[in-house]
Amino acid sequence: MSATGKARAWMVVAGMVLTSVSARAQDVLIVANRGVAASQISEGQLREIFTGVRSRLTDGTRAVPVLLKGGPVHEVFLHRRIGDSPEEFRTRWRKAVFTGQGSMPKEFRSEAELLDYVEATPGAIGYVSRLNDKNSVKVLIVSP
Amino acid sequence: MSRRTLLTFLLGLCAIPVMAQDLGNLQIHGFATQGFLFSSANNYLTMPSSRGSLLWTDGGISVIDSLSDNLRVGMQIHMYQMGEIGGPNIAVDWASGDYHLNDQLGFRAGKIKIPMGFYNDSQDVDSLFLWTLLPQSTYPTDNRDYDLSLLGGEVYGERSLGTRRGSVQYRGYVGESTLDAHGGYVLQLAGYGATFPNPPAGKDFGGDIRWLTPWRGLMVGASAQSQALDGTGPQGSVHMPPSFMYAYYAEWRKGKADFVGEYWRTPLYPVLTLGADAFSAGFDQRAWYGMASYRVTPNLQLGAYYSHYFNKAGDTSLPENYSKDWVVSGRYDFNQNFYGKVEGHFLHGTGLGYYASTNPNGLQPNANMLAARVGFTF
Repeated sequence: MSATGKARAWMVVAGMVLTSVSARAQDVLIVANRGVAASQISEGQLREIFTGVRSRLTDGTRAVPVLLKGGPVHEVFLHRRIGDSPEEFRTRWRKAVFTGQGSMPKEFRSEAELLDYVEATPGAIGYVSRLNDKNSVKVLIVSP
Repeated sequence: MSRRTLLTFLLGLCAIPVMAQDLGNLQIHGFATQGFLFSSANNYLTMPSSRGSLLWTDGGISVIDSLSDNLRVGMQIHMYQMGEIGGPNIAVDWASGDYHLNDQLGFRAGKIKIPMGFYNDSQDVDSLFLWTLLPQSTYPTDNRDYDLSLLGGEVYGERSLGTRRGSVQYRGYVGESTLDAHGGYVLQLAGYGATFPNPPAGKDFGGDIRWLTPWRGLMVGASAQSQALDGTGPQGSVHMPPSFMYAYYAEWRKGKADFVGEYWRTPLYPVLTLGADAFSAGFDQRAWYGMASYRVTPNLQLGAYYSHYFNKAGDTSLPENYSKDWVVSGRYDFNQNFYGKVEGHFLHGTGLGYYASTNPNGLQPNANMLAARVGFTF
């Protein structure tokens, strides 16, 4: 392989590594009202709460899922934690609404608005990209 | 008059999104669609489709309020016109109180949707599907209002089977179903000379169970239903003893692909009495379909299905006793609220969707069709 070829190969490898690190970094924090006793939640429970199948956390607290209206944080959350695309997720909830089986979770335009709601609402659970005031809400650890 | 009323209704719906947010716990949602159907032969679903028809309009609006952590009430009104079916009447699609005791047990009472098969309870909500027409072998659009809901109650719930066994969702119901006064069955009965001041009705009960398997994306389910019907009019009566029907279905979602299949068996033995004459008809309806779809981009979905129906109680070599439909479909979402769909149907047989009143010169055994729909939802 020529020197130019080697350099290109290294650049490709470096690019792949950087992409991978960046993708791994793109996760969200799961936040809940401070009244929630649990400090962790399983992936399955999180998915069931946000798809309307489960209404209570393991500690018995009523779960109130809240969403961002859209944007990259919303998409990362749905993709990584729920396994849906935004379109599939919207369709899932519209089906519940239009068949009389559920009501749509509250949606917020910004993370700040979502955090305010989670802070003030018992059982509220949502997601954000970062947290400035760690005392306002509780961060839940997601277990496999 | 009916078109004007529908237009006013739909314009009203379009004006609502500004207030479609939460008003406390109160939520308002809605949808409206306009369809177009063109067929190479025959008039389908009572529309003059052989000339191209726009007589296909649909709209609904729902209001839901959570009164407490466990109690929710709601109502959805609905209006549709499809050829000679439906009209300017506003019908209650569902209206119920829902008491959620816990995740394993909840109760609903009022006018509730019937969980039969994979799509039955949502078949009137066009925005949920890629398809312009769901497989008519299992979800005949001309009779959907009768199939959709009943007046009664249901229990429902979900139970985890453990991390390695997935979970089950179950629903059981009992109540009374009434034929849609402006639907396909009543139109068919009128074709035989039987009219009814009050649409025929009957006891209905059944259940549905779905296993959300531990293999992500795979769900299998089964439904069963018993349905009876009685009605009396000036010319005579119709009687259908309790008929037991059942369905099996499965869905597999993998990435951007989605696969669904269903099998239904619906034996029906109605007796129509006109004056001193009694006519007994036997239907042993078997139906199945397989469909596949793929989300090409977040806004574009493509798919195809094959839908098969035959009446085993009749001579299945005759076109009136079978219907085989090959379908290709596409949907584009312009944004979260507006979408458009287009679909090609290659239909063999005349067992479903055709009426003598809109096909006075008889039927061709085969027809190709173009179906399109634009919709709005919030």
